[in-house]
Amino acid sequence: MEAAAIPWWVWPIALAAVGFLIGIVAVLAGIGGGVLFVPIVGSFFPFHLDFVRGAGLLFALAGTLAAGPQLLRSGMASLRLVMPLGLAGSICSVAGAIVGLGMNTDLLQALLGALVIAIAIVIWRTRSTESAMVDPDALARMLKLEGEFRDPAAGKRIDWKTHRTLGGFAAFGAIGFLGGVFGLGAGFANVPALNLLMAAPLKVAVGSSALIISIINSSAAWVYIHRGAVLPLLVVPSILGVMLGSRLGAHLLASVPAHLVRWLVIVVMLLAGARALLRGTGLWI
Amino acid sequence: MQATYARWLDVATRAGFAISLAAFLVYVSGAVEPFVPLERLPQLWSLPAARFAELTGEPAGWGWLGLLGYADYLNLAAVALFGVVTLVCYARIVPLLFAAGERLQAFIALAQVLVLAAAAAGFFTGGR
Repeated sequence: MEAAAIPWWVWPIALAAVGFLIGIVAVLAGIGGGVLFVPIVGSFFPFHLDFVRGAGLLFALAGTLAAGPQLLRSGMASLRLVMPLGLAGSICSVAGAIVGLGMNTDLLQALLGALVIAIAIVIWRTRSTESAMVDPDALARMLKLEGEFRDPAAGKRIDWKTHRTLGGFAAFGAIGFLGGVFGLGAGFANVPALNLLMAAPLKVAVGSSALIISIINSSAAWVYIHRGAVLPLLVVPSILGVMLGSRLGAHLLASVPAHLVRWLVIVVMLLAGARALLRGTGLWI
Repeated sequence: MQATYARWLDVATRAGFAISLAAFLVYVSGAVEPFVPLERLPQLWSLPAARFAELTGEPAGWGWLGLLGYADYLNLAAVALFGVVTLVCYARIVPLLFAAGERLQAFIALAQVLVLAAAAAGFFTGGR
């Protein structure tokens, strides 16, 4: 059946369902959701990639906004850690959004497919670390990038500090740019940058990643809104679905086994990335 | 400061959710006429955003504010509210940070408010 022959109302229902499921998985995996939403909807739904990327940014934004209060109250997100990194990312995400809206669609779709497959491999190969207490650098001390949280799974209070702050700024600048170009939440890179590079504990990295996405995407989303790349019929059911899913995901974060979620995300990303790559290269329209 | 941010974020996000849901129900129920008829969208949504705007007469930049009487632009306004949630929450904690003597953090928060306000105003995209 041709997509254009399907009644319009089928698509918002399908988008809300997809959004709800991605919302749960995204928070558990510490990703923005856009990294699943954009390749899935861009490859299997009939909308132009401009609208899908605009929706992807708002989708990741809404999901992380919804999860934010719970993550902040539990101490699994640190506003002190998020603020300087989010500022670097949000400035670069605006530049990325402007570049992305000027690019050829097929090229963008093929690059998106390749990027999503690469991200899936990075997630697969990356080992998280429950970092030991590190010696913070001068900038981290000045910005007071430290905190504490109570881990319900481990049943203890964990004090943490971070280091390699300049590397963190550079990483979040690059992450923000890519997020803006492709309409992704870019949480796939936030968590390793916070955990492996800066040595934040994994749960703090996952929680803070969600909050950083909400900041980075807030600025890039305006570029898409001003350029007419936001289609409410696509965006609203998706974000309503993801907000409900994300709230559920934030409540489940402390108890769900992370490795199951990780494998689910890897498989879905490989499939959606391959589809986007084939579509962009014209091998499977 | 973190607790205040969380509280404001919670309230603003819940409000955004409720407003989006209400606006969307108005849109799909047909209670208010959309600028672009729903039945026409499947022929248009596979086109690039620039071509879509050309064919529908969609205004650029903030021009859509003049079309809030239409259901689709009412929904766009609801969606745009999510774009200001972070700005509002940051604006709330700036005075708290200054009052707590955390000047460096306060200036970072203030810079973030300015970046978000400039993006919302269309400063980075020439107003469109």
